[in-house]
Amino acid sequence: MDSTAKSSKLGTRMMPYLAILQHDLRSLWASRLVRLWLAATAILTFVLAISNWALFQDAPLIAWLLFPYLVFPWFFVVVVLGVSPVSGSRAEALADGILSRPVGRCEYLLAAWSARVVLVWAVYLVVIVPAITVVTLAKRSVPDDTVTVYGIVSSLALVGLVLTFLVSLGFLMGTLLRKPLLAVVVLIFVWYPISLILSVFSLEEFSPISLCQALPTQLRQPWQEVEEKSETNTDKEDISTFTNQFSHFLSVLSGTKPEPKATNPDFFESDEFKDFSLFRVTLGYGLPTVAAVILAVLCFHRRDL
Amino acid sequence: MELAIRTEHLTKIYSERLIAVNDMNLEVPRGSVFGLLGPNGAGKTTTLRLLLGLQRPTAGRAEVFGKSCGPNAVAVRSQIGYLPTNPNLPGNLRPIEYLDLLGKLSRLPHQTRKPRISALLRAVGLLGATDQRIQTFSTGMCTRLGIAASLVADPPLLLWDEPTAGLDPSARRFTLDLIRELGKTKTVVVATHILTDIDQICDHLGVMHEGRMIFAGTMQDMKRRLRRDDFTLELDGDADGIRHLAGDIANIEGIDAHLGTGQTLLVRIADDHSRSGALAEVLKIIDDGNLSLHAIYSSRNATENAYLQLLQEDEAHGFDR
Repeated sequence: MDSTAKSSKLGTRMMPYLAILQHDLRSLWASRLVRLWLAATAILTFVLAISNWALFQDAPLIAWLLFPYLVFPWFFVVVVLGVSPVSGSRAEALADGILSRPVGRCEYLLAAWSARVVLVWAVYLVVIVPAITVVTLAKRSVPDDTVTVYGIVSSLALVGLVLTFLVSLGFLMGTLLRKPLLAVVVLIFVWYPISLILSVFSLEEFSPISLCQALPTQLRQPWQEVEEKSETNTDKEDISTFTNQFSHFLSVLSGTKPEPKATNPDFFESDEFKDFSLFRVTLGYGLPTVAAVILAVLCFHRRDL
Repeated sequence: MELAIRTEHLTKIYSERLIAVNDMNLEVPRGSVFGLLGPNGAGKTTTLRLLLGLQRPTAGRAEVFGKSCGPNAVAVRSQIGYLPTNPNLPGNLRPIEYLDLLGKLSRLPHQTRKPRISALLRAVGLLGATDQRIQTFSTGMCTRLGIAASLVADPPLLLWDEPTAGLDPSARRFTLDLIRELGKTKTVVVATHILTDIDQICDHLGVMHEGRMIFAGTMQDMKRRLRRDDFTLELDGDADGIRHLAGDIANIEGIDAHLGTGQTLLVRIADDHSRSGALAEVLKIIDDGNLSLHAIYSSRNATENAYLQLLQEDEAHGFDR
């Protein structure tokens, strides 16, 4: 009885969040942009798979199928989807329709952000999962590959995380700059030279192109090996590397010379990307995603509508 | 007196450039139909948006039913039903879907929401349009739906911004009747620049000019502010006769008469003279002469005169403001 009352109370409390989420998903699905994107994703995935069917093994072919999401052109669509909810003419309709009701701004923003993340993941998975299933199960005239289920799931999650980061970045820019077109232009100018910017801070590991190059290694990663690695305190090494990268980033920002340290070979030194760390990359994209959402909420909270 | 709205030194300055609301002190009694009157750009809409927490005040504070207004004042907004000017509605939805969404935003349970939506759609005359998408609606239909939307949560305070803007006469009549009806149980604030609307429905009034509240009080207070009592007499007779009559009336102490357009005569009664007594004397002179009286109008409109007088006074005060 008590648990029923609690769940009903939670349901009432969550009602506006769920209503906005549902409404936004519905509006997004009704938009031409999303429908065109879905169709274009399906076509491009099909074309990439067919044209490389007999050329690549499973892992490089799957990485190639994921390339449009990480580098070009789908990042652009994802950013545009992220920019829209609180900018331009939508802000007025939003004020009249939703924010003049008993809804908190944070509640609205989180619901709008969740709707975009859910939509982006849905479009991404609905095309890529069947494509990967076909690629891995089909008998092709290429040598067998050692792609693992863990590798596929972790790679898909990783690309999904990058897409979530892009939605959040668009979301933040849309909130900060108000004008959707300006926000998109700024993001294009930031995202395209991102590899260059990251290399300045010795953070190449996080660049989308590097991720694409490292995906075949990750796709072949067995679950067992990861377990063994974690037993040998790899997490501590990851944290230490992440801390070093972060301190280097700060020292470059502040203009001071970083202390020389004995390090492993650079990320690009070997083409095998054995030093690719899922943990570090997850942190590298996860933390900015959280930061972008928090900043967007803070910024929106102070804004006049 | 219990207050529905109270503001203290409420000020809103946009980008350090435009003063939209200037040091406004306002008290709206609970249960009143309050007309917020002012020319375009006076700051009426900004005031409503400050009360809703859609904008943050630059200085001062606003309270609704004793609770502070602000962007996260969900409890305040749950007490308010807002109707914006020409509401911007989601065109892809149908009326029931839209009202259902708003009901959910107000955390109304399903068993309360659905019957209320049906009742509201019936009340605003949109039952026949429930299968149409909102984008196909006319301005009048959108306003009706906006009215229903503001009533979904059955709030005790309604803030309606230009509710009769763009409506045809029958829709306007419907809206004014509805406000009068709602005013029996709720506090209603109607922001408008249409004086006749205010005259018909409001019992309290606030006049805004250039962001300032230059008058707040009852409608009677407002009408009492008129310095002069004016009448317009519509007469039948030759022009010389009317001119002669004007001279005769002007000879009476405390009464002034001027020829108006056509066959009309504007009679102005001084403040310290009885209106009825002066009018009786004027009517006697007309009766004694060879003119016939077609109609008597009590000036143009008492509220309109008082309103224009307030604006003129405010302009004339200059630096004293």
